[in-house]
Amino acid sequence: MDAVLIFQSLISGIMMGMVYALLGVGFSLTWGVMHVINISHGAFGLLGAYAAYSLLQYFGVDPVASAAMSVPVLFLMACGLYQLLIRPISRAKNVVMASMILTFGLAIILENIMALIWKADPRVLTPTYSSGALIVGPFYFQYPHLVGFGLSLVGITVLYLFLKKTYTGMAVRAAWQQPEAARLYGVNLFQISMITFALAVSTAGAGGICLALLNSFEPHSHNLWLIYLFLVVIVGGVGNVIGTALAGLIIGVITGLSMAFLPFQWVNLVTFGLLMVFLIFRPHGIFKQEGV
Amino acid sequence: MMKVQRSNVFSWLVIAAIICSFTLMAPAVGFSAGKPIVIGGSLPLTGAYAETGQWIEKGLRFWAEEINSKGGLLGRPVEFKIYDDQSDVGKAVTFAEKAITVDKVDLLFGGYPGTAARAVMPVAEKHRFVYVSMGGHMKSFEQGYTYSFGAPPLMGEWWYEGFFQWLATVPADKRPKRAAVYTINNPVGLSLMDSINRWTKKLNIEIVINEKYNAPLTDATALIVKAKQSKCDILFANGFFPDGVTTMKAAKALGYNPKAIVQGIGSVVPAWVKELGRDGDYVFSGTCLSGQLKYPGNDKLNAYIKKTYNLNEYPLYFGFGYSWMQTLEQAVAGAKVLDQTKIRDWLKTNKVNTIAGPMTFDKRGLPEPINFGTQIINGKVELISPKNIQTKEPVYPKPAWEK
Repeated sequence: MDAVLIFQSLISGIMMGMVYALLGVGFSLTWGVMHVINISHGAFGLLGAYAAYSLLQYFGVDPVASAAMSVPVLFLMACGLYQLLIRPISRAKNVVMASMILTFGLAIILENIMALIWKADPRVLTPTYSSGALIVGPFYFQYPHLVGFGLSLVGITVLYLFLKKTYTGMAVRAAWQQPEAARLYGVNLFQISMITFALAVSTAGAGGICLALLNSFEPHSHNLWLIYLFLVVIVGGVGNVIGTALAGLIIGVITGLSMAFLPFQWVNLVTFGLLMVFLIFRPHGIFKQEGV
Repeated sequence: MMKVQRSNVFSWLVIAAIICSFTLMAPAVGFSAGKPIVIGGSLPLTGAYAETGQWIEKGLRFWAEEINSKGGLLGRPVEFKIYDDQSDVGKAVTFAEKAITVDKVDLLFGGYPGTAARAVMPVAEKHRFVYVSMGGHMKSFEQGYTYSFGAPPLMGEWWYEGFFQWLATVPADKRPKRAAVYTINNPVGLSLMDSINRWTKKLNIEIVINEKYNAPLTDATALIVKAKQSKCDILFANGFFPDGVTTMKAAKALGYNPKAIVQGIGSVVPAWVKELGRDGDYVFSGTCLSGQLKYPGNDKLNAYIKKTYNLNEYPLYFGFGYSWMQTLEQAVAGAKVLDQTKIRDWLKTNKVNTIAGPMTFDKRGLPEPINFGTQIINGKVELISPKNIQTKEPVYPKPAWEK
């Protein structure tokens, strides 16, 4: 087996996996902290991708800058959506089920809004570096992969530090691990849930932009992205930021190695076979310990 | 007395004028009073295939507008009853059943995509309704259906015929020698292999890599590295738009520049040139319809599209919708009744003239293979083969990637 092919596939796989991790980390948080399975998470990612597309087309804004800009915008938007839609369902008997149904509807609404604004045509995010590569010896590091990987790494690190080092972040963790005790200590669970939801949506936006650097997208692409969201969250463990990042890397390595060693048509079989294995043997994910 | 006679003459003249004017108005009155011919079915107006479905609908409606302005079909106006199947094959089948059994439509129109058309074909056969559509590639026309016709059909098996016919004209020493073939693992992708297998043998091109992949293709790095390392000088990327884009981007990033890149369905989608820009240039593919063809009707459609949508050429699927209805129109006019079996029999034995050219149908409901080789040149889909329809000389071998 050719070493260049193995290494090249591995690099691409790892970089891709990290992007899935950024897209998935917010999905994991809302699921873990709020018990909300946000089916519209990928649609918010797609919204970020479309916003970056328009900013690049009409104002020449680089997707990296768009990712930075999308975070506060989506954060505020998500706060409003939380108050309007998510908070009322926290009183439901079965929050998980109610949230899935609600956010499924939200995803369809978002998809139709995106189709109205940007039409159903497929789009490609093409900054000047979109098909360039950094060449090191026999290896090619594709710029979109590098940028996506770098942005994802920064995004996940910032989120991790926020949850680990700030008071609000610790409150989010407390609300996830011991909600009743957190309430007794004066943590406003609704406020924390709103912040969690907003954080999740804003990371989705940034993740969507990273993914759009690698693949074309259409208004219904979020359905496909959702599959990978479940994959990283189930492998990484619900509500676990580090687990999600690691899951992204593991999935990337497995995909990369499969592409190098197996016929291409087996790649998805192997990747999603992994999901089955985890669901059977480690339903809690890589780490036994729950949380950040 | 004279006065009375004069007034009588005047009265008779008035009555005669009124009768004459009624006589002159008669066809119009008869037309507007005639029961409309209802043409039913479904299209993906929302969901994954909405963009294409909406263009087909525009093509159908343009045809209806045109025929109604000419006095209708069999002297009756036509109207559509179009359901939105939301890009769901199951719903397309349900709506076809509903159109026939509940709405009791007079005619069926063709649906989209191929999977939906393939699923509606047995429904049309069961109810003995003529179904003119693009079909779902060769297998769908080999099921023994007698009421289904492709006019033109979208046939993966024929997709690269035009390209290969042109390649055969290239001197043997200048042709590619080693091919990398990557095919999306679905009926459409696999149908493209038919012409590749036949022609590569004929042209002595060795297939060095022949691999299938399942959608989604999120990364094409390994595909391109393999092709590059195997020194393949022709790449067949047999897929759709998303995987086509992923492959092209990886090819450029990894500095892989074979003599020719042949791409399946994605490169004839308008978004290809719009989104990929110069990186989408020089890709070969095929088509069975184009606004650049010189067959009667194309100019008229292009003029309408220019005026209404400010596009230089009608989109492929606008043309498909129009062409299917042109075929059905000629069959109904030829049969002179709305009897489905008579319409079918007329189609089996007569020639129709469409914007895709004249067609006669075999017992499968297929015309002679229709395919025109295409290449993207300077951001435009150009027809390169056969020679008589060529709009531009093909660019070969592929120039280096632009920095």
